[in-house]
Amino acid sequence: MGMSLTVTPEPRDRMNKRLPIPFSTQLPEIIRNNYGKWIDRRLHGNGIIEHISETGDKVFTVKVGLPPNSRVSIDTLEKFIEIADKYGLGVVRATRGMNLEFITDSLDKALKIKEEVEKLGFPVGGWGASLWHITSCTAYLTCTTAVVDAPSITQVLYNHLKPFFTGEEKLPAKLMIFVAGCPNVCGGTLAGDIVIVGHYGQAPRPDPERIKFCLPTSAEALKKAVPDVAAVCPVGAIKVFGKPDGSVGIEVDERKCIACSRCKNVCDYFDWDPSKIGVAIFVGGKTSNTGTGPRLPYKVIPWLPVNPPEYREIVAAVRKIIDIWRREANPGERLGDFIDRISIDEFMNKLGAPRTRHNRCEEISWNFGVRQFVTYM
Amino acid sequence: MSVETSPKSSDLERGMKMLEYLERGPWPSYVTELKKTKYPIEAYAEGLARKYTPWLSGSFRVRYVFSGILARRSRDGKFVEIHFRTYAPAGRFYSTSYLRKVVEVAKRYGIGLVELGGNTGALVMNMIAEKADEAVDAIRTIMGSDVGGSGDTFREFYACPGPALCEFALYDTLHAMDYVRSHPAVYRYLNTQMFPYKIKFKFSGCPMDCATANSRSDFALIGTWVGPPEVDQGLFRKMVEEGKINPKEIVDSCPSKAITWDEERKELRIDGSKCLKAMNCIRKAFPAIKPGRNRKIALLVGAHAQGHFGPKLARAVALLDSIEEVIPFAVELINKYMELAPRRHRIGDMIIRRGFKVISEVADKTLPNKPKGMPSTHLRVSIGAVLTDDERKLYEDWSKQLVNEYFGSSSGTR
Repeated sequence: MGMSLTVTPEPRDRMNKRLPIPFSTQLPEIIRNNYGKWIDRRLHGNGIIEHISETGDKVFTVKVGLPPNSRVSIDTLEKFIEIADKYGLGVVRATRGMNLEFITDSLDKALKIKEEVEKLGFPVGGWGASLWHITSCTAYLTCTTAVVDAPSITQVLYNHLKPFFTGEEKLPAKLMIFVAGCPNVCGGTLAGDIVIVGHYGQAPRPDPERIKFCLPTSAEALKKAVPDVAAVCPVGAIKVFGKPDGSVGIEVDERKCIACSRCKNVCDYFDWDPSKIGVAIFVGGKTSNTGTGPRLPYKVIPWLPVNPPEYREIVAAVRKIIDIWRREANPGERLGDFIDRISIDEFMNKLGAPRTRHNRCEEISWNFGVRQFVTYM
Repeated sequence: MSVETSPKSSDLERGMKMLEYLERGPWPSYVTELKKTKYPIEAYAEGLARKYTPWLSGSFRVRYVFSGILARRSRDGKFVEIHFRTYAPAGRFYSTSYLRKVVEVAKRYGIGLVELGGNTGALVMNMIAEKADEAVDAIRTIMGSDVGGSGDTFREFYACPGPALCEFALYDTLHAMDYVRSHPAVYRYLNTQMFPYKIKFKFSGCPMDCATANSRSDFALIGTWVGPPEVDQGLFRKMVEEGKINPKEIVDSCPSKAITWDEERKELRIDGSKCLKAMNCIRKAFPAIKPGRNRKIALLVGAHAQGHFGPKLARAVALLDSIEEVIPFAVELINKYMELAPRRHRIGDMIIRRGFKVISEVADKTLPNKPKGMPSTHLRVSIGAVLTDDERKLYEDWSKQLVNEYFGSSSGTR
């Protein structure tokens, strides 16, 4: 783009990445003094944790819910900075679940932070037996491979599930929801309690006009290397071949395709029918070693229609899953542990989703995470 | 509540109506935030109405910057969207003085929009294309950070808050992240695109794995210990007498069934050979029950959601005594990864294709005498699916019932 203005005298310097100043300089003095010395914690409501140090010092963190995909304007960010300076220790922390923690040194100030952010419209909560977060990928906001729009689904779910975040309504244990726009699952992890993933529901069709941008120009080149667009297919459903006229053709075998969207990752020029796209819902995954340990989730619903902006089908399914769990789980039992106890078949009966070849949900015993070191434990 | 639109209205009009709906709920709306900035909301609205992402990859270069800058152009060619991924301090603690600089850069060179906690771990800033060249320098000189972490390189590292805020941290995750990220063997690849695909490191302080290392990172470093948890019998007895904890409940809820309570002697016994480190008793009776003293860092590899053969969980390699020990292993494995894996295969995919021996060979060479794990394996999970029209109809009909159940029967006419 032919730009010449620059403040670096030698642009080549950019080759050496500048790493951020060490984290310790970001920390307030009280945390530096008590680094690694914490001995206990106490919850004050659902959104404030008191951390107690062996030195007797105390720090309070306040967890504030952010808009989906943690998108904030500079305007809002400046207001947060003011609050963090006035009532906090001049530091905030972005959580893994796309929320924000304010850190302060007394309960009064923590409550004041709660009051101030609530005045701005941001809820406080999300710890203990509650909805911790709904994490979202960027989808239509910026992504080229998104099939469905995750931030708007997240917004609608948050609107419906807010009382579980603030603690007005109770859950048996913590609940983490992840929403991703395509099978790349950038919306966090697949190993979540409830994971909603958009997918095509169909084999992608090469755009007849523009697919050529992803193919070599001559059939001769195919002898040397398989083009990326075919090589990335894990099931060999994409065939590239030389045509008699020397050009290159492409075909997608619909019977083999698993709609994983790998091909879409390397080439923009695949097309699909928006009326056939949908979301799959996975339930009971976990990355933590608590309970029965880390595991991938079960695909309980392989496809649901996507109807923005209300997404009623998705909201209803998520609420149904939460309702079954709330009604029948023991206190402290996460969704995955609950399903392990009653068996996935029983859970599927309660959910009532039709069972097809796509959601057989076979029982699997998992032994993952640090449990793989069991012989040394 | 439903959105009223006439059949004649354009995609843009329908989309803007949808966005208005998304602003009306009780949760703070991202649309409201977007509208306060110069984000091209029309492109997004149109995409939403069409159920089709409006963006295509753009080609945009800033000299000498080979990772961290992502460019998009809309399908109609009217809009561009440029965003930078910036390295975040370990644990993502942001001081307000740092955030003020973020604001300054975002105001001067950007459209006034940031993603505070990006999923890779980065802080993402939306920039103006014409000023992108200067913005890179501003991030370096004003913010004191840099763009990076996109493409086939090391993605942004992520660590749980660890000892800065958490009593369960079994090693210093924040220091470990800074150490690995700035180690010359890792640092040299930060501005390159030399790997077959991305590589991620995640650092979790305890087996509860708040950094989701188990399911999202090629190199997972998770704090753990060997043997039983440490029990302070005196303190435990005191907590029982005070009614703070119920020993029977702790025994019954242990997922490993490793705990017994001696009612006569008032002693809690934990069988270390059975303990699966589920942290159940520790969380219930801290500080009377604590993780054992023989602390280790569990090294696991090959987890990811996005890869050739679908999502995978991490597989055990070895128990380390310090974070420094991971470097020779990582260097060796990364070299092997670059040599053996086809493009767009993650380390986990390489394991599937070549067997776990590719990892154990490296581990035997670089981590001799370290306790090795017994890696588990699981079936492939397919996320997407190609459905027949009948199958689609089946799920559509079922979802209509569900909608009736939760939104009432009037909703069917939408």
